[in-house]
Order: sequence, then structure tokens, then C-alpha cells
Amino acid sequence: MPRRPNSLIPGIATLLLTFGQPAFAEPYAPRVGQRHADFTLPAISDGRPVSLSDYRGKKLLLVHFASW
Amino acid sequence: MPVWHEASKQWVKVGRLAIVGVTHEQHAERCRLFAQWHELDWPILHDPINQIEALAVPILVAIDEHGIVRSTRPRIESFERDFLDRTFSNDAPPIDDAAGVPDVEQLTANAQSADTAEAWRELGDVFVLWGGEQRIDAAIDAYRKSVEHAPQDGNALFRLGVCFRQRYESAHRQPGDFQAAVDHWQRALETDPNQYIWRRRIQQYGPRLSKPYPFYDWIRQAKSDILARGETPVVLPVSLTGAEIARPQRDFSASTDKEKSPDADGKTHRDLKNLIEIDVSIVPRRAQPGQPVRAHIAFHPNAAQDAHWNNESDPLLVWIEPPAGWQVSHRLLRAVQPAEPESTETRRLDFEIRAPDDLAADANDEDAAQLKAYALYYVCEGREGACLYLRQDIQIGLDRLRSVFRECSNFKAGFRKERKKGNTNLR
Repeated sequence: MPRRPNSLIPGIATLLLTFGQPAFAEPYAPRVGQRHADFTLPAISDGRPVSLSDYRGKKLLLVHFASW
Repeated sequence: MPVWHEASKQWVKVGRLAIVGVTHEQHAERCRLFAQWHELDWPILHDPINQIEALAVPILVAIDEHGIVRSTRPRIESFERDFLDRTFSNDAPPIDDAAGVPDVEQLTANAQSADTAEAWRELGDVFVLWGGEQRIDAAIDAYRKSVEHAPQDGNALFRLGVCFRQRYESAHRQPGDFQAAVDHWQRALETDPNQYIWRRRIQQYGPRLSKPYPFYDWIRQAKSDILARGETPVVLPVSLTGAEIARPQRDFSASTDKEKSPDADGKTHRDLKNLIEIDVSIVPRRAQPGQPVRAHIAFHPNAAQDAHWNNESDPLLVWIEPPAGWQVSHRLLRAVQPAEPESTETRRLDFEIRAPDDLAADANDEDAAQLKAYALYYVCEGREGACLYLRQDIQIGLDRLRSVFRECSNFKAGFRKERKKGNTNLR
């Protein structure tokens, strides 16, 4: 089961675009009121690319987790 | 996460909410099993290299229909009122952030012309995320170039470690890949000790923690629950190692084995043809005074010689002889072997070694701290070939923890000598 860390260290999200893939110059820390940078990663089910922007027009809960 | 999943099922069902997960793990299959167990039916994306550069997990982000972040710490009890029921305006400035699968040729050309740490790192990212197993070597090359330009770039170091770990588990495994993975993760962590994801990746393979942390204890229960539902659990191609499973005893305890060395006089013939390839890794690499390190020994049947385990007799044994002052958690290890008479799987054994309290930090006398061990196993050469009972000696330099080698280094000459003597130990 994932465990909640003691604290999430806030940082400044400076998102840069480089050749179509976001490079996060600072640790990931999305800021309320700002657009979330798009990203594309493979799905664990079949490896197909999925982008955050595929969900534009929908209310989305983005969950970063691990099973350890 | 399962708590949120249960609470949000109805919202997802009626189309009020979409959920996307991002898992920050080395092995996608373990997450697939986790998702199957909890019946997580929304897309889960794999970020094994932490490209997003999250410092920790879990992180939940509520994003509105315009792509604007509305909460980074949503609460279940108020989520409907604060997020789902609200109407948000498109009031954030646009950003140029079109993503997608990057163009490998474009990135390659850019890396070669720009020759910067960032360009090589980006190229490595593409290879490892989208290139599959056959591009792991290319990813390693790209990250190595990145690290040459920026030796303190923790992200490149961590990702290089991920690639070594992937190659270790592939058909293209190279000697020392596991150790290289751990070493690069450790170097990454030294650049930023606060990086929780990097730290967790190393700890999964290091000594068991004094504070209980069950990394993958849930797997047995998950498989049982899934089978009880009449489903077939996701197959895990990479088996768990000892350090990944929590056990009741957290503190190091020295072996009290009463058993004797099974080949004390060394009469068993050596595996001079390397029918079984042995790979030893130490985590962390350097022993600290009074602290344990964990040794992982992997035994790979040599595919080039069509070697396979003979399971119709005793299991693989490893006997460990610690040097004076060092303690080990086990003296004798036994590998589990399958029911079928022959098999070719990789077998893994783990144990812990604790350095003496007075270990000199600058110890450099390798002879003073050589952990000697040997493995005994039944192995067959080729499907129609001979089956042998063989021994392979293993030495681990504990002061530097660098040199892992076999006594039979000059095995060609030794093999010819043994053949002349007729020592083939046929079954």
C-alpha cells in the first residue's frame, strides 16, 4: 500500500518546453491557478502513449503514486 | 489511493470525473498487479525514470476542464463541493506545452550537435521510455554522455541507474549491471538526499530497515485475493528479492546456523565452463562500521551453453565464510527449486553482512576482509548433455566492496587440465 510521506517539499514549478517533452527545471510542484504542463507517458497496460492534454474538457484527478 | 478510488467510483461512472495515475516504480508489472488487486480501472502511466521529477509520492492534483490546477491537496469529504460542483473559468495564462512522443531523430541530431548534458539526458529519456528493451544500450550511452558533461546531475545519474537495472533484467544483461544500478542511484542520492523516490528505489534492495517498511508485502495477499475472485493475477517477470519484503525481525541478527560447510575440503569439481553465471551485488556498496550491507547473488544458467538446472536432487546451496570480525545473517542458503525436473530460471539469494564496529574507514587491505563463499548446484549442459554436481567459488572484497570475482579466473587452462584428468563428474 502506498504510504503518505511525512511532508511534501514545496518547490517552484518552472516548466520548460524542449522538443515536445516537458523538462522540469525544478522539482514537480503544480501550483493552484496555473495550467498544468502537458506530458506524455506510456500506459502500464499496453505501453500506448497517453497525454495529460487528452483529458482537456474533463475534470481530472491526477494521482502520482507507487505501490510500495 | 484505493480510498480515493472507492470514493470516486460513482463520480467516474457518471462522467463527472476522470482519473489518471502516474506510477513512479521500476517495474510496471508490479503496479499492474496492484491495480488489478484494487480494481483500479483508470489509466495508469509509467514514469520509471521520474521524468516528472516528483520529490515524493503520493501527490494528488485536481485539474479543471481547462487544464488549470485547482487543488494540490484535495480532500475527499469536500471534493464534490470544492471541485466537482464548481464552474471554473479559463483564467490562467496559456503555456506552450504541447507534449507527445518525442521525435527520436530530431533529439539525436540535437544531442550530437549541441553536445550538452541536457540534450543527451533528453535523448536518454526517449530511449528508455519509448524505445523498449532493444534501446536500453542507447539510453545508457546517452545518459553516460550527459553525466560526463554534468557529473552532479542527480536526474541523469538516477535514470542511468534505472537503465542498468532494466538491462540487468533483460536478455542483454551484462556483468555488474545490478551493482551499476545501485551505484548510480547512490550517487544521485548524494546530490540530493531529500529525493524520496530515489531513496526508496535504493532501499528496496539494501539492508532491511530498522523502521518497518513493507515495500511489497502486499503481493502475496494480492495474488490470493485475485485468485479468490476467479481471476489470474498479473505475472511478475521479476521476482522479489529478500530486501523487498518486510520480515518480523528488522534488526540485523548474526547467523547461529549449526550446519557445517557442505564441501569443507573443497573436493567438489569447479564449474570451469561457467554453466551457471553468478552475479553478486552489494547494497550499499561501501560498508560502514557496525552497519549491514545486503548481498544479492543471482545465478543465471548460461544460455549460450543451453545450461539448465537439474531439479531432481538437492537444491542450490550457498555456504558463506565471513572474515574475522564480520558477521553474516546466514551461513548456509538454500534456493527454492520448481517441481519440474529441469528449468532455466534465474535464482536469487540474499543475505546481510555487518561490518566490525572498528572497521577502519580507509581500510585498503583486501586480504583482511574477503568474504568467501561458494555455491553447489546440479546443472546440465545441453538438453542431451551431461548433468553435473559442481561448485563455484565466490569472493567479495568487503573493504572496498568492488571486486567480485571467481577463483577460476584462468578457467580455460584449468578446464583443459580437468578434462585430461577425466574429472567430469557425470551423473
